[in-house]
Amino acid sequence: MASDVKQDDTDKKQGKLTSHDITMLGLRSSLLQSAFSYERMQAGGWAWSQVPIWKKIFGKDKKGLSEAMQDNMEFINTSPPLVPILMGLLTSLEEEHVNRQTIRGLKNGLFGPMAGIGDAIYWFTIMPIIGGIAASFASKGNILGPIIFFLVYLGVFLCRIPFAHLGYNLGVKAIDVIQDNSEIIARVATIMGLTVIGALISSYVGLSLKVKIGSVSLQKDFLDKIFPNILPLAFTFFLYWMLKKKVSPIVLIAIVFVLCIVCSFFGIM
Amino acid sequence: MAITMAQGLMLAIFAAIAGLDSWLEVLYIFRPIISCTIAGLILGDLQLGIIAGGLTELAFAGLTPAGGTQPPNPAVCGIMTVVIAHTTSVSPATAIGLSLPFAMLMQYILLMFYSIFSVFMPMMDKAAQEADTRKFSRIPYLIMAIVTISFFVVIFLSAYAAQTPMAALVKAMPVWLIHGFELAGGALPAVGFAMLLKVLLRVEYTPYLLLGFVVASFINFSNVLPAAVIGIVFAMIEFFRDKKNKKLQDQIDEMKENGVSGGEEDGI
Repeated sequence: MASDVKQDDTDKKQGKLTSHDITMLGLRSSLLQSAFSYERMQAGGWAWSQVPIWKKIFGKDKKGLSEAMQDNMEFINTSPPLVPILMGLLTSLEEEHVNRQTIRGLKNGLFGPMAGIGDAIYWFTIMPIIGGIAASFASKGNILGPIIFFLVYLGVFLCRIPFAHLGYNLGVKAIDVIQDNSEIIARVATIMGLTVIGALISSYVGLSLKVKIGSVSLQKDFLDKIFPNILPLAFTFFLYWMLKKKVSPIVLIAIVFVLCIVCSFFGIM
Repeated sequence: MAITMAQGLMLAIFAAIAGLDSWLEVLYIFRPIISCTIAGLILGDLQLGIIAGGLTELAFAGLTPAGGTQPPNPAVCGIMTVVIAHTTSVSPATAIGLSLPFAMLMQYILLMFYSIFSVFMPMMDKAAQEADTRKFSRIPYLIMAIVTISFFVVIFLSAYAAQTPMAALVKAMPVWLIHGFELAGGALPAVGFAMLLKVLLRVEYTPYLLLGFVVASFINFSNVLPAAVIGIVFAMIEFFRDKKNKKLQDQIDEMKENGVSGGEEDGI
């Protein structure tokens, strides 16, 4: 690869960028979705976040800046909270003026796996756990709920700064780390997420029958004796099965409403 | 209780901030647990805001933008749940159901924006070609302004301007319908959880789901923390086993490569 040409390890990190620049890059990574559109997803915001750091790297080299900007206007869709790692990593390559094609290839090879890891960690693990814990406080009127939630996500936001430094310092080494571990991390996050979702189904899907057959209450004397919360579990699996049948979530929401209103009308629930 | 002009404006300003946050996904103040609490604070009923926040957050647990689908907007749903519960005195669970149309309205507005904003991309391309960073940054600023303003307008109209018809509508609803909405508010989290399952569940993972379910059903503790800790325990066990297996696999592969010339059949 042409990247070998510029492998000057001695003055590697003595470029024009300071630690403060990388910190700012981490903060600016918040703008990833600022120009979101279906055509190229996050491309506009992705490029815009990095414009100041490219201006520093390329200085008066208008052509270099233009090429970097154009390359980064290509389709990209990755995980917002993890994106500083990717930005830091590519910045370390831009700074060394590695061949454009290499940078582009790495970007395109990495944003997909990072999106997978990010979704697994942030949406499917942290969100159910923190959301579930915070909601269990909040639904009893305890202010701790929203406070816990806010503090955790403030932490998630602040992590952007160390993440940008991590990506920048690891440079090309990060690629192996990401590719080697993406599968294991996603698996482990899935296990944690699913355990919590199981608990959430039992705790927070509210369904109970009012019907009595003779003096026997269908809920208290029958279903609860078989297994507590069996109805919420069955209902969730019914919806899951419908989703698998390609029924859209909006239709499912409508079904929930119609079902509940009908049950209310006939006094079933 | 009625919403004053000042409260309407404050709600709209907060909606603009939370809306921009939901566009960028940065601070997560757009999640119902925060947006409800702030809306409650603005309306002078913090307690209602917190309780509604807990309930609405759960209803949105699985309705995430992960995987490219845009769910009903959580910020709008959160704010409107508190507004409806406050103005019409229905329970927060009922209010979730009634606020959903507003959240869907915002969802469709955003979906429209996603398509329309594609038009701006060639302008950014051109600015990139000329390395004109000022012209380049104009587009994201413009897009963010459009998003922010539309959240402001939607919430101002829905919360302040529409409160009288909303109250009349709720008043006209028979008891069974109100109760139906309340039931739906309680059952809605199932949709979110089903969506999470669709993404996460594979046969090999079902034991963990059932484990979490059983633990929470039998432990008399109103918090998912015990289940989360058990989840972490199993995740750690799997993590170390995976690492070990991977190392073993690498060693086997290495031995295979080295021993191509023969002898590996003997197992030495």
